Amino acid sequence: MDQILSVLQFALDGLSQQQQVVANNLANTDTPGFTAQQVNFESSLQQALDSPDGGQASVTVTDSPNAPGSNGNNVDTGQQLVAADQTTLQYQTMVEMLNAQYRLIQGAAGGSFS
Amino acid sequence: MSLFGAFNISASGIDAAQTWINTTAGNIANVNDVSPVSGDAYQAQTPVYSPTVSLPDGGGSGVAVTGIDLGDSAGIVESDPTSPLANSQGLVRVPDVSMGEQLVDLVQAQNDYQANTAALERAKTAYQSALTLGE
Repeated sequence: MDQILSVLQFALDGLSQQQQVVANNLANTDTPGFTAQQVNFESSLQQALDSPDGGQASVTVTDSPNAPGSNGNNVDTGQQLVAADQTTLQYQTMVEMLNAQYRLIQGAAGGSFS
Repeated sequence: MSLFGAFNISASGIDAAQTWINTTAGNIANVNDVSPVSGDAYQAQTPVYSPTVSLPDGGGSGVAVTGIDLGDSAGIVESDPTSPLANSQGLVRVPDVSMGEQLVDLVQAQNDYQANTAALERAKTAYQSALTLGE
């Protein structure tokens, strides 16, 4: 139970950072020479979950491999807008799951399950 | 990482787009300016963008308009003998502003504005859902 809560919290943090990186990429769609960034936390989390003695997951921010345009900027607006949507939906899912966990704990502790 | 950090980032993007919309509006408004050959023509304005970094973890914190690029003050010398500003040869100076370029810039600035508002909207939805935690 503890592990589920910490996994969900970690995912929320990762998604929150992703939200900011996407916002920053979109704010810089016309900044010459700007390189878009992307956030990855899923693979690190998966690795930590797979390791038998409990690993440490981390959020990594890397440069986007997209080819830069004529002004050296490589932000793909469409890609970023999709990422913004996806991040929000994932975020809401994590919140839903956290709430479900809290309801279980509440129920187990003698409260109501609803 | 600040609380509700994506808001300020998107707001900086909206501000930057607004500045661009304003400069294109100014450029279009002045497209028919006439000045004497001895003076300067209206100089088209273009905002200069740079990314800002201020978060402690070195992450991007949006965009800032660090200056306004001015076009060529030489403009274009045209013949307009009827203009009160014309010299003895009937020449005047007009700005070297391309209407097509300005309109394309305006569309792009508008798209930037909308993209940033969309990101803001998504961030708001996510943060609102976070506020339901424990309910």
